[in-house]
Amino acid sequence: MSTTTQPFTLVEPTPKRDLRGLIGLAVIVIGALAFMLLHPDPVVFPPSWNLHLRDPIDSFQSWVIGHRATHPLFVYFFNPFSAFIDARLRTLETFLLNLPWPVLLVTLVAVAYKAAGRRVAMLTLVSLLIMALFGLWKQSMATFALMGVAVFIALLIGIPLGILSARSPRFELVLRPVLDAMQTIPAFVYLIPVVLFFGIARVPSVIATVIYALPPAIRLTSLGIRQVAANTTEAADAFGSTSWQKLVKVQLPLALPSILLGINQTIMMALGIVVIAALIGAGGLGLEVLTALRNLQVGKALEAGIAIVLIAVIFDRISYGLSQESRDAIHHAAQTRAKQGQTKFSPRQANLLYWGGVIVVILLLVIADRTLLDLSTFPWRFSIRQPIDALVLWMRNNLYQIGDLPLGTGPFSDAMIRYLLTPLRDLLLIYLPWPMIVLGFAWLAFQAAGWRLAIFSALAILCLGLLGMWEQSMDTLSQVLVAVILAVVIGVPVGIGAARAPRFALIVRPVLDFLQTIPPFVYLVPVIMLFNIGRVPGIIASVLYAIPPIIRLTDLGIRQVAPNALEAADAFGSTSRQKLFKVELPLALPSIMLGVNQTVMMVLSMVIIAGLVGGGALGFEAVNGLAKSQMGRGLEAGLAILLLAMVLDRITQAWAVGEGK
Amino acid sequence: MTVEPTPKVVCQNIWKIFGPQGQSVIHAPATQASKAEILASTGQVVAVRDISFAVQKGETFVVMGLSGSGKSTLLRCLPRLIDPSAGHVLIDGQDIATMDQQQLRTIRRHKMSMVFQHFGLFPHRRILDNVAYGLEVQGMKKAERQARAQAVITLVNLQGWENHYPGQLSGGMQQRVGLARALAVDPEILLFDEPFSALDPLIRREMQDELLSLQEKMQKTLIFITHDFAEALKLGDRIAIMKDGEFVQVGTPQEVVLTPANDYVREFTKDVPRSKVLTAQNIMQPALTASVPGQSVPATLAVDDLLALVATTEQPLAVVNGADQVIGIVDRSAVLRALAGMVPLSLGDQQ
Repeated sequence: MSTTTQPFTLVEPTPKRDLRGLIGLAVIVIGALAFMLLHPDPVVFPPSWNLHLRDPIDSFQSWVIGHRATHPLFVYFFNPFSAFIDARLRTLETFLLNLPWPVLLVTLVAVAYKAAGRRVAMLTLVSLLIMALFGLWKQSMATFALMGVAVFIALLIGIPLGILSARSPRFELVLRPVLDAMQTIPAFVYLIPVVLFFGIARVPSVIATVIYALPPAIRLTSLGIRQVAANTTEAADAFGSTSWQKLVKVQLPLALPSILLGINQTIMMALGIVVIAALIGAGGLGLEVLTALRNLQVGKALEAGIAIVLIAVIFDRISYGLSQESRDAIHHAAQTRAKQGQTKFSPRQANLLYWGGVIVVILLLVIADRTLLDLSTFPWRFSIRQPIDALVLWMRNNLYQIGDLPLGTGPFSDAMIRYLLTPLRDLLLIYLPWPMIVLGFAWLAFQAAGWRLAIFSALAILCLGLLGMWEQSMDTLSQVLVAVILAVVIGVPVGIGAARAPRFALIVRPVLDFLQTIPPFVYLVPVIMLFNIGRVPGIIASVLYAIPPIIRLTDLGIRQVAPNALEAADAFGSTSRQKLFKVELPLALPSIMLGVNQTVMMVLSMVIIAGLVGGGALGFEAVNGLAKSQMGRGLEAGLAILLLAMVLDRITQAWAVGEGK
Repeated sequence: MTVEPTPKVVCQNIWKIFGPQGQSVIHAPATQASKAEILASTGQVVAVRDISFAVQKGETFVVMGLSGSGKSTLLRCLPRLIDPSAGHVLIDGQDIATMDQQQLRTIRRHKMSMVFQHFGLFPHRRILDNVAYGLEVQGMKKAERQARAQAVITLVNLQGWENHYPGQLSGGMQQRVGLARALAVDPEILLFDEPFSALDPLIRREMQDELLSLQEKMQKTLIFITHDFAEALKLGDRIAIMKDGEFVQVGTPQEVVLTPANDYVREFTKDVPRSKVLTAQNIMQPALTASVPGQSVPATLAVDDLLALVATTEQPLAVVNGADQVIGIVDRSAVLRALAGMVPLSLGDQQ
């Protein structure tokens, strides 16, 4: 009762942090000015501060190369391990390649039909035929095999870890930061140590894919189990279930939709780095895209790119269908559907009949292959290379510069470089002294989340210089900033439009779905067709890749504004515009900031890919380091990307959280 | 007075404290401090505070309290779904506080089962498999457990719904499943955690009546949690009123209504029609002679039911006990006085 008798006091919100922030900014500016006055040439990060991290790495690499055949660690661990996985992979690949092509076609279409219905089955059929017509059957099978093995291993590790982390809060506590880190690190960065230990071949690509694709399997398994309603698990306890009975009879069945969604995400992640994995010897479709891009054979790259997208779409739809199916089964829509259908057979009999039929067809095909027909290779061909190459040529001749006007992709690209990219890079690199950038980041971080993040950010940015990557980092930063700004400037209005005009949303959402299904690399192909190579195509590809989350989260944020707040705004006679700026956008801001965070992270994950098409900077260093087997240099660039990613992630995330309060 | 048999369930000095170092509060001198004071000074929430009670075999014991009174926590201490911070729970004289997980599971599987507020059904299992769950985890063979589940489903009038899923059933039907699931293992003790509070009033009354008639047949030991005072009066052989983790009053429905322990309890009893709670023996006057000329009524007849009788006759009615002996008389003025709230008696000397 003592609490109610206390007098009610109004606490004035103190503007303490703002004041401190301003003082901090003043200190930074004064400090920077003093620095500039004291030092004759303060702009360049002192080269003598370079830690030369690459030297020990390079010597370690040459040690590894020299001892791979002799040192026990390799002879008894890495090499046999590698050989084991390689052998399995080869077996699977040979098996898939030796199957008569219609067998795989029938199997996949049958699975698609069962999991996701007639439309997805048709989609699967058409997609597989297109792959075959392009003459990419063999490469597709190689990609299937590699992906299949990687996803299988990822699930084999991920699902038990997910179960464990759902059941043990302590384990969860340890695992979560690891998963966060795994998802923040651009895929490329851990290719380097993997290559160091396993060399360049299929196995390191499998391992890299597993690492990359693991987090969603763990997270969604754990989430699914933890989302099982507390009163359901309590009931299981109350009836005396053992821990195992509770898991198998209650938690796992109820978590199944979420686990299947995790499998879906794992497959999509694995497909997302098919091309990157090709850099370290994955082969298959990724290699096809990579070599075609390097030789600027746009038609060939597009065909392989389309094949990757088709695989992604097939597996996305099938696994998503499975996830929905299991959700329906739990919420018994399937049960009622079966009732309404009223067939002669029980569901179980119908299933047996279906799969029996599929097996018979497959056996017939195999027999036909052995006796009458030759079904080992797909007999028909259809190529879009020539028309595409012709189209590219035409575009280059006609769209790059339209007449004598300053129109077309060439002038656009030039303008972007001249008025956006170069000034920004020069600002970061030449006009601003490096300590000011370090302190500037510290100030931003302090504003967002306080001292700890400020110190972390300052140290991380300082490390960019210590790694000897200051110049490249600032170049990359300028490109990232331009891409993020473009994505936000385009994405937020589109998101607002989608939220406010349902008809517009009907157009936007399928486009976003499509953009998110496409592996990032494939964006490059049409972009190169239009913009040639250089910094601009990399940025445009990054914007395309990174724009879905900002659109989605703006849309979501606005649609989630409580209806009674909108009603109140209407009741006070707001115009539509006033409602948008005074009610909807402020309330949607946390969601939008989360979108900005995700966009920043996705742009950063494209840095390497941009490096492949002439984006230069850190991406180029990392790619070159791998390609030329200069591990030290690649690792330095990789670490620099990681540091930038961590700083930008933490700061933007803190903004999103801060806005949420 | 008959000799009381060993109680089925005994709770001795149960405490449940949420927060760090729960033990310290129990033994500290602050024991007399109120719940709010303990929260303010130690940051610990006292959910259940030194509660003791005993429930006889076949008895229905209702714990009534508002939300936050700790009643659900208390109930969960019995099968140790929540571990009490201190105290003992004796089931048939066995202390469950000292049991290991294996023994505890045996108790949960065979001796006591529970019906939950939000049903706690398994959405991915058919009704039949929901009801059979307790038997399944015991390790019973499929055919046997399904036969038993089927029998219980018939008992709660759900035959025909065996192959449906919980989401396809209405709330009332879902709680029948919850009840059937608890009955399927044939437990000696049934725990009810506000089982009917999520149902609408008509269905709730129907379920209460059904539970009463089932209990008449089964004679199980029931411990029933509710926030609805009327429900407590209707179902309980004895009622405990709980507030801030403590029992404010424990007694039969009549005792609670007629002699509320304090203002808190009186608030609940204010709207209860006395004519439904009071019985003939509560309002009777001593019979002056051994034989009374008029009609006779049983001692347990409610005043409500006496109204029609006294309206038709000026004669006093004889009140007889179970052995048909006259123990007092009731006349029109006694009934009217009772309705007017002028209850003359002290409840202490009835029987």
